[in-house]
Amino acid sequence: MKQRLNFSNYIVLLAASAFFIFPMVAAFEFSLRINEGKSYGFANYRWVFAEDGFATNLGVSFRLALLTAICVLVLMVPTIVYLHLGGARWKRLVEFVCLVPLVVPVISFALGVGTAFPTFLQSTVYELSFLYVIVSLPYTYRALDVGLSSIPLLTLVEASRASGASMRQTLMYVIIPTIRTAVNGAIFLAVALSLGEFTLAVLLHWDTFPTWIANVSQGHILNAIALSVLSLFGAWIVVMIFALAPKSLRSNKIQEATK
Amino acid sequence: MSITIAKRTDSLKTGVGPLHFAQRVSSFKSLLPLFPFFAFVAYFLLFPLTFIVRDAFLDNDGKFTFSNFEECFKGVYGHSFFVSIQLSLISAAIGAVAGALIASAIVKTGTKSRRAIAATASVLANTGGVPLAFMFLAGFGSEGLVTKALKFLGWDLYAGSFTLFSATGIVLVYSFFQIPLMVLIYSPALENVKPEWREASDSLGGTKTTYFLRVTVPLLFPAFLSTSLLLFANSFSAYATARAMTSGTLPLMPLLIGNLVDGNVIANQQHLGHAMAVCMVGVSIIVMSIYVLVLRFSKVKR
Amino acid sequence: MISENRVSVELKGLRKVYGTAVALDNFSLDIAPGELVALLGPSGCGKTTALRILAGLDTDHEGQILIDGKDIASVPANKRNMGMVFQAYSLFPTMTVLENVAYGLRVRRVDREKRNKKAQELLDLVGLGEMGARLGHQLSGGQQQRVALARALAIQPNVLLLDEPLSALDAQVRTQLRDEIKRIQIEVGTTTLFVTHDQEEAMAIADRVGVMRHGVLEQCAPPQEVYLNPATVKVAKFVGAMNLMPVEILSSSSVSIYGQSVALREGGSVPGTMALVRPEQLSLTLAKTQGRASATVFNLTFLGPLTRISVRMTGDARTLFVSMPSSAALEFVAGSLVDLRVLATSVLLDA
Repeated sequence: MKQRLNFSNYIVLLAASAFFIFPMVAAFEFSLRINEGKSYGFANYRWVFAEDGFATNLGVSFRLALLTAICVLVLMVPTIVYLHLGGARWKRLVEFVCLVPLVVPVISFALGVGTAFPTFLQSTVYELSFLYVIVSLPYTYRALDVGLSSIPLLTLVEASRASGASMRQTLMYVIIPTIRTAVNGAIFLAVALSLGEFTLAVLLHWDTFPTWIANVSQGHILNAIALSVLSLFGAWIVVMIFALAPKSLRSNKIQEATK
Repeated sequence: MSITIAKRTDSLKTGVGPLHFAQRVSSFKSLLPLFPFFAFVAYFLLFPLTFIVRDAFLDNDGKFTFSNFEECFKGVYGHSFFVSIQLSLISAAIGAVAGALIASAIVKTGTKSRRAIAATASVLANTGGVPLAFMFLAGFGSEGLVTKALKFLGWDLYAGSFTLFSATGIVLVYSFFQIPLMVLIYSPALENVKPEWREASDSLGGTKTTYFLRVTVPLLFPAFLSTSLLLFANSFSAYATARAMTSGTLPLMPLLIGNLVDGNVIANQQHLGHAMAVCMVGVSIIVMSIYVLVLRFSKVKR
Repeated sequence: MISENRVSVELKGLRKVYGTAVALDNFSLDIAPGELVALLGPSGCGKTTALRILAGLDTDHEGQILIDGKDIASVPANKRNMGMVFQAYSLFPTMTVLENVAYGLRVRRVDREKRNKKAQELLDLVGLGEMGARLGHQLSGGQQQRVALARALAIQPNVLLLDEPLSALDAQVRTQLRDEIKRIQIEVGTTTLFVTHDQEEAMAIADRVGVMRHGVLEQCAPPQEVYLNPATVKVAKFVGAMNLMPVEILSSSSVSIYGQSVALREGGSVPGTMALVRPEQLSLTLAKTQGRASATVFNLTFLGPLTRISVRMTGDARTLFVSMPSSAALEFVAGSLVDLRVLATSVLLDA
């Protein structure tokens, strides 16, 4: 599949790399400035780790991400599996519904949530997780739909049923392991969204990691830049580990097996 | 289950009416496993949406009114439609073209580097808010590293009226997540273009141009258009970055809505915010409809 | 390894409609304990539907399904205890071969040691004892189907259901695995329903063959019976090759074919104009004089032990096929003038 890149391809890639790398390098340079720019060091980073808000808010964001991931798994996987089995006639409707969040700007959505939800829901930060499930619908739907389309789902399910498995066992032992790549992709999207989401959190008055960064930036600019660098770099490391992990973890074998 | 069977047998003997009924019963049954999904979406998506629409038509005393919408199109609010839509169009166009160019270079590289680039793009596409603002301030701000470097090379970014807080500046900043998003979503479509087709076209005597116009463009146009639309929606609704960058100096719809409902700047203007929010949904729907029409037209032409 | 539970299966008056299409109509079939019945028919004839209804994978049908006399129509697929082998690609791709075979026991919460031991026994039975640690896609198509068979048998099923298990395989592997399935089925003694569109396969493997057309079971009888005494014209035309020969009706029980009188069999369309005669029920001799049933050899096709000769009748220019041992066919060449004789003692009439 590898082809030769021509001259203009190199120019494009070079220009793109410059555009993306320079701001990051610049931010990194700023984050190392101490003593009002007279020297360099990691003091800004040390300050960040020492702050109470760091662990607390990161913790909140991680817990939100976890709940979001669970909701996606429990709600979306069975739903889309069903659409690929007996419920095909509802596929277009569900697909349409999953695209609705794309035409609803998050800020509009946040407004509606603020007035519509009863207090018992509004009194817990975990309401955000349910909203993140909604906002990530277009992406999670697509990831799972593509994954399920690439396997002989019906035969596998029937083989499992005939072997005596209940639908729940079939989901857990057969379907989810078989589309693990797609499930990982969907969960990954939802987690990334939960960890970085700002609009809903700030308009519903919750403190999460992104809103905390915004707070820190009021008055501690260099520390906030250090935080920004950390969050970007952290996310990138995690993603790269996923992407370049050995084959066995990504289970590419499934695609080969079902060719 | 046995009821359905009985109904169906009946209907075959007695005619159309009961069959209709039986079909409806069985179609309702097939909807049952989707109940959790629809219940979830109804409560967490449709329910809040109905509330924005409702509140958009209420005045501060809770009475029905159109005045919020009249207010929407006046003064700074009316102007914000223009600014938001224009900025989003430009941002989407730049993101789409640059992203497509980059994707067409990346698609030629090996599997492993493609995967690494896709992963990186997924991180970049999700940057926004304060971290993104800082990166650009550090890079392209008046004291930024890139600015200084360019000045050293003889190009003063700030010689004209450029600031990062202007519309041009915002477009530049948005490109940082728009371009990766385009690369991420458009690449799979590019990968579907088989090299064999190029060979087939060549063997039939097609030139580079005819191949591009007759094969590549019709093939990729729908994907290009739908991803561009996604970019439009993405910048149109971007709030975190706009807020971090401009602190309210640029009249963008999300910022105005945020100020109306959240800030203490203007009291008692909640319902105007809701009307603006409804308008934003309206704009998105119009853009989506244009997309559907264009797609249908392009299919008919082929 | 002999299955303790040999059951009888009775399907009574099954009817299944998809939308307006009738997939299965008034379908009744009894399978004796330990018997292997093959359902044979072209695609879309309803044979797979019948099997899927028995498996519980297709519901919303009319009619009864009795296992040892008990109606199981309301029992869901995963409680029916039927082992099923699919056309292809049914191995769970994330599990090893051994895990695949042990799967049915795993969902029945049999402990690991026990189920692995049982799975290993079955792998040995299908001749893949060494392959337990592999993944499905590392095996050939034939091996995969053996694993699928082992997996189906691992749960000690009441009934073994085979849905075109060989049709995705190469010709050579197909015959080999076909014979093996037969051997294993005799060994374990499980009542079996086998669905196929391949006549030779059905004839070779089954105790009885059920011939299906358009959702209807036309005949269910031992292979020889189906071939030699087809019950209906549809069966006669579908199973094996048939010549259509014009007849003159002599009486209600006999007809004349090119001047030769032959008895009529029950089951044909009456009054018909054509007799159905198999190629091997015709014989040729080099012509001495030009008689009424004279013909010209048109082409010879050598098929190994047999040779198929096409001849053109002198009278009505009709083309007929005659098949005979290759050794006997040596005396004929294209262009030979021959006399044709009908060897069949009785024939079916077609309209």
